[in-house]
Amino acid sequence: MSFTDADLIARVLSHKDQNAFGELVRRYQSPVRAFLARMTRGDLHLADDLAQETFLKAWQKLQTFRGAAKFSTWLFGIAFNEFCGAARQKKELALEEMAESPPELEQSPTAPSSNLRLDLTEALKLLNSNERAAVVLCCQNGLTHEETAQILGCPLGTVKTNVLRGKEKLRRWLSPAYKNYESA
Amino acid sequence: MNRPEEGDTLDALLRDQNQYIEDNGFTARVISALPQPCSRFWLRPFLLLGTTTIGSGLAILWLPWKNLPALDLESLHSLNSQMLLPWVLVFSVLASLIWGIIAAVQLED
Repeated sequence: MSFTDADLIARVLSHKDQNAFGELVRRYQSPVRAFLARMTRGDLHLADDLAQETFLKAWQKLQTFRGAAKFSTWLFGIAFNEFCGAARQKKELALEEMAESPPELEQSPTAPSSNLRLDLTEALKLLNSNERAAVVLCCQNGLTHEETAQILGCPLGTVKTNVLRGKEKLRRWLSPAYKNYESA
Repeated sequence: MNRPEEGDTLDALLRDQNQYIEDNGFTARVISALPQPCSRFWLRPFLLLGTTTIGSGLAILWLPWKNLPALDLESLHSLNSQMLLPWVLVFSVLASLIWGIIAAVQLED
């Protein structure tokens, strides 16, 4: 018998049932870890540490989950906050401003094509954290702009702008192989 | 509501990259990091039952058992406080004892 998220959450809240919480972790560990791996630019150890913290926070704060949004949306919100906390600690956000406009990509449109041979994973790493989060949540995880705005704690218009700007940068940065793939 | 456009190759590529990550012990690590349930689970029912029993015992000791008025329908109908008050006390003591037992059993579930 398969329990809904609401059933499992109710069991955790009423009985502090760790098995029910374990089932929730099993259901959502993949999207949360993948999201954090993207946000940490492929640092899988850091991503898993942040994912673990995300689920521990979820355990502690589950009574504040009102069910207005999907459980996954609520979890992504905690995960993004955990990432922002870690990024602040590492002052990565300040460094990201430099990475936002990588000189070899933005300033030399006539550079040899080998310089532009970035695959999508590498290209995603070059987006700033807000654009990367918006693109990953909307385009990769299929969340709505509204859900993404809720997760990132920013206005809907900002999310739409970040998605458009992020995708535009990705298109510009991706290799000619991608362009061939697109025209095929 | 946004939905990836059908013809958008970039969206398709992004979705293709979104692959399932195997658990590989992650869930077990999270569960083992959760605060362990209190090992002294018996403490609350023990305290609850103990205090209820002691309170009830003291109340029973102090109740004027020998001077309890006989209960009959006439005195019940007349709502004579001198008749009813001692019995209200007796029933209160019994009710609190029963409530203590039930609460203790429910806590253990």
